[in-house]
Amino acid sequence: MIKKTENQDYIKLIYTLFIIILSSFFIWLIWPFISDVILKLVFAFLFTSLLLSSVDSLERKIKNRGMSVLIVTFFVIFVIGIFLTSFISQLSNQASEFSQRVNPQTLTQEFNNLGNKFTESLPDFASNFIPSNNDFAITLSKFIDSALNSLASLAGAVGGFLINAIMILIFTIILLSEYHSFRKTLVAGISNKFFESGLKLIFNIEQSVSSYLRGQFIAAFSVGLMSILGLVILNLIGANISLIIFIGIIAGVANLIPLVGPFVGMIPAILIAFMNNIGNEIATSHLLFGIIPSPFFIFDIILMFMIVQQIEGTMITPAIMGKSVGLHPLMIMISLLIGGTILGPLGMLFAVPATAILKIIFQEIMFVRKNSHLL
Amino acid sequence: MKNGLWPNLFKGWDNKESETINTLKLIPVFKNFTKKEFLELEKLVHHRNFSENEFIFKNNAPGEGMYIIMKGSIKISIGDGKNEKILANLQEGDFFGELALFDDEPRSANAISLSESKLIGFFTPDLLALKDRNPVITNKILFNLGQILGERLRQTNSLLLDQQKK
Repeated sequence: MIKKTENQDYIKLIYTLFIIILSSFFIWLIWPFISDVILKLVFAFLFTSLLLSSVDSLERKIKNRGMSVLIVTFFVIFVIGIFLTSFISQLSNQASEFSQRVNPQTLTQEFNNLGNKFTESLPDFASNFIPSNNDFAITLSKFIDSALNSLASLAGAVGGFLINAIMILIFTIILLSEYHSFRKTLVAGISNKFFESGLKLIFNIEQSVSSYLRGQFIAAFSVGLMSILGLVILNLIGANISLIIFIGIIAGVANLIPLVGPFVGMIPAILIAFMNNIGNEIATSHLLFGIIPSPFFIFDIILMFMIVQQIEGTMITPAIMGKSVGLHPLMIMISLLIGGTILGPLGMLFAVPATAILKIIFQEIMFVRKNSHLL
Repeated sequence: MKNGLWPNLFKGWDNKESETINTLKLIPVFKNFTKKEFLELEKLVHHRNFSENEFIFKNNAPGEGMYIIMKGSIKISIGDGKNEKILANLQEGDFFGELALFDDEPRSANAISLSESKLIGFFTPDLLALKDRNPVITNKILFNLGQILGERLRQTNSLLLDQQKK
C-alpha cells in the first residue's frame, strides 16, 4: 500500500517536472516575440500602481471611473509635457547663447587656459600625471564634437521612445479604468481552498507596492527640492548656474536609480556651470572653502549633491520607507545591470522598483505557504 | 436549436435585475442600498461554486469575509467525526462569516457545503478597496453590520438573563 503511494508521488513529481520543463521551453521559444509587450505591461502596471490611489480618490469625488482615469492621466501628461517643452526650449536658448558667446576657434584656447590653471593649482607630484596641456584641450574639443554628432542618433531614439511611451500610456489607461474588474477576473482562477488567502495576498502586494512607489516618489521630490535649494545657495556665492529647476527635477528622477543616480544629477549642473562661466576669471579661479581649487564651482556642486544624497539616504528614505523592502547592495547592482542591458537608462530607472516588487511578492507568497496547513 | 446570439446581444436591455442583486437584496448587511449601489456591489462580490462535502472554510483558518448562499445548503459545525457538533444548517438567502469583515481573528467554526452550492463572497480586501472609492457604501455596510451585531448582543443578553433566572 505504502509502495503504491510512493510510486504515485514519484509519477506526480516526474509529471510536474515534465510540465515545468515543457512550459519553460515554450516560453523560451516565444520570448523574443512577447518580451517587448511584457516589458510594456510591467511599466504600465508600475504606473497603474502609482496612479491608482489618485484615480480612486477622484472617483470618490466625481463618481465616474472613466472620467477620473482620463483626468488623472491627462494631468500627468500635461505636467510632463510642460516640463519637456519648456526644458527643451530653455536648453536650446542656453545652447544658442553659449555658441554666440563662445567662438569655436577660441574654445580650444579657453580649454588651454583652463588646463594651465588646473595644473598650476595642483601640487607638483600630481601635475606630473597630467598629459601636456594641448592633449587635454584637444581631448575636450573632440569630446564636444562627438557629443554634437550623437544628437542625430538621439533624434531616432526619441522617436522610438515616443512610440513605446504611447503604447505604455494606452495600457495604463486600460489597466486603471478596468483595474478592479481585472483583479476580480484574476482571483476567480484561484481554487476554493486558497481563495481567501489569495485575495489577502493580492491586497497586501498592492498595498506594499503602492506604498513603496509612493515612498520613492516622495524621496525623488525631496531630492529635487533640496538640489534646487542647494543650487540657489551656490548662485548666491556666484556660481551663475541657470536652469536650476530642471537640474533639480533631473536630480530627483535620477535619484530613483541607486549608485548611479547621484552622479547623473551632478552632470547637468556641472555642464551648465561650465557653459555659463567659461571665460569668467573669478569662476575659473574659485577656491572651495578658500583652499581647494574648484574651477567653475565644480567641487562646490559635487559637495552640494553629496550633502543632499546624505540627507536623503540617512534621514528621508528611512523615515518614509522603513526597512521593509530594503534590497542587498549586490542585488541592487545585479538588477541595475540586468535592467540596463534590457532597456538602457530607462531599464535602470525601473530595475530596482521592479526587483523590490518581486521581493514583496515573494515574501507574501512565502508567508501564505508557511500558514497553508491552517487552510 | 436556440440561437444564443440575440439574447446575449440584448442582455440587460429589459432592465431586469440579476440573480446576484436579487440575492443581495435579501441580506440585511446591504439594507437601504440604492439600485446604483447594488450595481456597484455586484461588481465587487465573487461567485464561488462548492461541491458536496467541500469545506468553505475550516475552524482556526484566517478569515477574510462573509458568504451569502445563492443555491444549496451549508453546515456550520465544530469538531469532526464523532465529536462534530452542528451549530446551524443554512439555506438559500442565509449568510455567514460576516464577523471576519470586522476583525482579524481566525474562523470560529467549520463551514461545509452539504450539496452542490453556489455562494457569493464579500471580503475584507474588497471592503477596504471600496472605502477609498465609495465611502458612502462602506459606511452603509458597516452601519448595517453594527445593527446586526447589536441585535445579536441583545438576544444573547436576554438568553443569559433567562438562564440566570432559571
